[in-house]
Amino acid sequence: MYSKLESNTIRNKLVIKAVRNIRRGGQKEDAEKGMYRPEIKLDLQRSILLTESYRATEGLPMVLRRAKALEHILTRMDIYIQSWERIVGNNVAVPQGLYFGIDMNWRSVRRIVDQPEGRTLLDAEGRRKLDELITYWKGKSMSDIQQQVFTGEVLDYWKMSKGAAGSWSHWSELGIPNYEKVFKVGLRGLIQEAKGRLAEIDHTVPPDYVDQKEFLQALIIALEAVIAYAHRYAHLAEQQAVAAQEPFHKERLETIARICRKVPEHPPQTLAEALQSFFFIHVVRYLEYSTLGIGVRFDKVFGPYYENDLKNGRISREEALTLLQLLWVKFHELGLIYSPTLSAVYGGVASLQAITLGGVDSDGKPVVNEMTYLVLETAERMRTPEPTIAIRYHDRLPRELLAKAVDVIRTGIGYPSFFNDKALLPMLAGWDVPLETARDYAVSGCVYIELPGKNIARRALGGLNLPLALWYALTQGVNTFNGEQVGACTPDPLTFSCLDDLMAAYLTQVRFFTNRLCTIQNISNSLYEKYLPRPFYSALLDGCIESGRDCRKWGYPSTVSDFCVVLGPTNVSDAMAAVGKNVFEDKTVTMAQLLKAMAANWEGHEDVRRRMINAPKYGNDHAYADAIAAQVQHRTAAAIMESKNRFGFPCRGDGSGISATYAAGAIVPATPEGRKSGEPLADATLSPVFGMDQEGPTAVLKSAANISAAKSFNHLLNQKFPPQALSGENKERFIDYLRAWGELGISQIQFNVVDRATLLEAQQQPEKHPDLLVRVAGYSAYFVDLSKGLQDSIIARTEQDFP
Amino acid sequence: MTTSGIVFNLQRFSLHDGPGIRTTVFLKGCPLNCAWCANPESQSPRPQLMTRDIKCCGCGACAKACPEGAVQLEVGKVRRILWEQCTHCFRCVAACLYGALAAVGQTMTVEAVLDIVKKDQVFYDQSGGGLTLSGGEPLTQPTFARELLKGAKATGLHTVMDTTGHAPPTVLESILPFVDLTLYDIKHLDPQRHRRATGVDNQLILQNLKRTANQTRTWLRIPLLHGYNDTPEHMEGLARLVKELNIEKISLLPYHEGGLSKCRQIGQTPLDFMAQSPSEAHLAHLMEIMTRHGVRAAIGA
Repeated sequence: MYSKLESNTIRNKLVIKAVRNIRRGGQKEDAEKGMYRPEIKLDLQRSILLTESYRATEGLPMVLRRAKALEHILTRMDIYIQSWERIVGNNVAVPQGLYFGIDMNWRSVRRIVDQPEGRTLLDAEGRRKLDELITYWKGKSMSDIQQQVFTGEVLDYWKMSKGAAGSWSHWSELGIPNYEKVFKVGLRGLIQEAKGRLAEIDHTVPPDYVDQKEFLQALIIALEAVIAYAHRYAHLAEQQAVAAQEPFHKERLETIARICRKVPEHPPQTLAEALQSFFFIHVVRYLEYSTLGIGVRFDKVFGPYYENDLKNGRISREEALTLLQLLWVKFHELGLIYSPTLSAVYGGVASLQAITLGGVDSDGKPVVNEMTYLVLETAERMRTPEPTIAIRYHDRLPRELLAKAVDVIRTGIGYPSFFNDKALLPMLAGWDVPLETARDYAVSGCVYIELPGKNIARRALGGLNLPLALWYALTQGVNTFNGEQVGACTPDPLTFSCLDDLMAAYLTQVRFFTNRLCTIQNISNSLYEKYLPRPFYSALLDGCIESGRDCRKWGYPSTVSDFCVVLGPTNVSDAMAAVGKNVFEDKTVTMAQLLKAMAANWEGHEDVRRRMINAPKYGNDHAYADAIAAQVQHRTAAAIMESKNRFGFPCRGDGSGISATYAAGAIVPATPEGRKSGEPLADATLSPVFGMDQEGPTAVLKSAANISAAKSFNHLLNQKFPPQALSGENKERFIDYLRAWGELGISQIQFNVVDRATLLEAQQQPEKHPDLLVRVAGYSAYFVDLSKGLQDSIIARTEQDFP
Repeated sequence: MTTSGIVFNLQRFSLHDGPGIRTTVFLKGCPLNCAWCANPESQSPRPQLMTRDIKCCGCGACAKACPEGAVQLEVGKVRRILWEQCTHCFRCVAACLYGALAAVGQTMTVEAVLDIVKKDQVFYDQSGGGLTLSGGEPLTQPTFARELLKGAKATGLHTVMDTTGHAPPTVLESILPFVDLTLYDIKHLDPQRHRRATGVDNQLILQNLKRTANQTRTWLRIPLLHGYNDTPEHMEGLARLVKELNIEKISLLPYHEGGLSKCRQIGQTPLDFMAQSPSEAHLAHLMEIMTRHGVRAAIGA
């Protein structure tokens, strides 16, 4: 039925909106080129419609204003169907548009369009319109409200003006709707449920009757608006079908029309209907409120629809693949603009969309079906930055599936990544998540662990820069560059007599900064509750309709909810080991010498720096370094958990750092492990410090296995391999390596497969790639150590492996 | 009594020294002197100094530490080792904070080696890997080699020995019972050519090959040097030998020039031998010969 859509041409439809990372170097050149491709524009439609609605609803309860605003947007925003589409919808009015949440923060967007790198995003008329909108939002956006509400110390830490080790930001709020329920009852079913609850409270009249009533009314307005939005697409498709000349397009448009009349209002029956229903909900979730992520357990949720279609002869495998590829294109049409800070953090990722495969069902049975393989094949064909794929690993996953996953990793796209049920199910148990619920965990973006359909409304509350916390433990909490007391006033490091003294001071700083972060977060959550209720998203979660409460007003009773992104724990581990070994055990360096050398950024103290570098390091299966690393990680996690959210549940750490480690390192002065001021931090919470792992990939896993997810949190581990390590006979060994990772109970792993360009760069600038491991004939070696001739032959071989 | 020996490298995550993921233990000392040797630092039975000039900052700590005056300094340049004066006492190695000097070869006990090997047990379990004993020539340290293999077998590890086969038959016979698979290196079947490039005769090697193939699973490994041992005729001869001795597999290892820079790093001059690796096309041709004889063959493993 999709004969005209050659699957290999679908990739040409991709709209790549990714932001170049302006903080990662080359800032000047990037500014000249512009941050965005010239055809990409800032889309103001949502902002205009939102503002119109806000102006018209002044004085109404906030939850109703939000629902009416969503209704206003969904019924008036321009919609389009392109000549190849089968799945329709977007959060912007044109395929090349970028969404932004003017209701959250307009300042950073204003700044971006004024800067040279953002100049192509708006024309003169657009700039004028934006300024007009801003006159309304001045004093009303969330960022403005925060400025007004925060006072004193909280305001200082919110503005990050002091160089604190914790930086709060409006980081991604993800969350996974209960798609399975939505598919079962349709939005119409949810509306009925809400009406039922309205009738119920008219009898019982609970103390918060008015709040409940307003919320449920708002929720119904929002859901009806989504149904109307789908019908607008049906109408457009019907019109286009009438005008269509070719039977193929007529049929395509008629199918779209039929599907959009049916879903998401009613339960889908086919794969095409389920995907469309899902995509409408996904898009509207973004439109209601600036959010991110996907998270859906794709094979678990969509596998049954595909298998049913197959059984009934409604679809072929190739047709299903085409449909998925078209969906992948739509994922890329969703555009978001970030502040310069966040674009540095996300390093060019558009909207942090991840989907989940594998794992187990609520009875503990493995989830693997035809859809699991279809998604991997789609990823292999599309090779897009998003959605990234997370595979939930356990030892009952078939080897065939791992082999397919390795093929996808080998393309160099950096996913699928693997999440280990063996580590994460016990971790969730420790966070009081019932086993059946824990078995449904999914990854919605980065390493965000979420529970589909559970009210985990707000997560990342900022970044905790652990090496900076350690630095403050060595300065008694004083920013030595300006003399300000920024951290806790811990004892003079010259009085430390053992490593425990340093550890205690460090943990005090961690507690101090986490506490500041959590205070900002708790106040912010209170503001979000008041000003940014989410009636539509609430309808998709378990418990909101039942209790008549917006998702902002309560939370899933567990530690899952609130976390701060932890940066640089392995830098701290190595620093502790180096101090322990040199200062307290071998006494080859005094504390005074170390502090002096660090203050000088090691200049004139290279001998001291070398001794710190030569101390045992995490990542080498070295008992001393690994024991300290485990202690640092577990005790840091415990210190973080002493801070609580509004509902009394502990805040926790999380390994979602990734590219933030570049930006975070830039503000950290020299640290005891030998790191120079401004150098990046280790690239993930389980990754060895750059270039410090010298014993190969098995030793890295052995070291990482000492860090328990149950005693800390969900981590991330980056490993780098050349493509040939995943090819030919090596492929089987790679799978063995992966299975050993599973056995070792390490919470996560992902692979950077190094391509030829990187090898060439490593040849030119060896100092940038000290840890690049390559296989030479019968042994492995660090690439930079090899002779030019041998390097050339490896580069040549890599090229062969890389079609 | 604890047996110890001299190890010059322990390579974890070895993928090409037998089945699965392995740890390869390289013993120091070799009776052969192959002109193309990829690991010239393995030849001498004693620990020796090795330089890594790329890491040298010219600080002079090594010169201060050297009791023999065997380190020459020049302002702004990498230090130079006067090799004829060096006694390999390694005081310079201890003094160097930059990793620009290393001692190749250290005395280790059987237990210490096995403790490291056992660290990757979980990887062996998943992949069917284990310990590979290599060199140098492991049979130059017969007691150490036997105790290592015996100890490994006692803990249930799969064992592979990579050997040149140049050892007294009694030594070989005492060790084979603890070997699951032998990787047996053959440089040339012709005695003269063998002697010319390796310094030793191949008669003992070929006799020992028969003993080995009778007692353990055996794979042949041929370092391929273009114009020396990669003629079709020589390949035909090897293929016949493989069939005759019931050998499982033959691995063709094209020459790489990794040994050249290492020669300089240990103060030696490479032997005068025009080593070249065969072309891809020629390799394909040699593989065809093996296939025609019904011999299982692989390039590089």
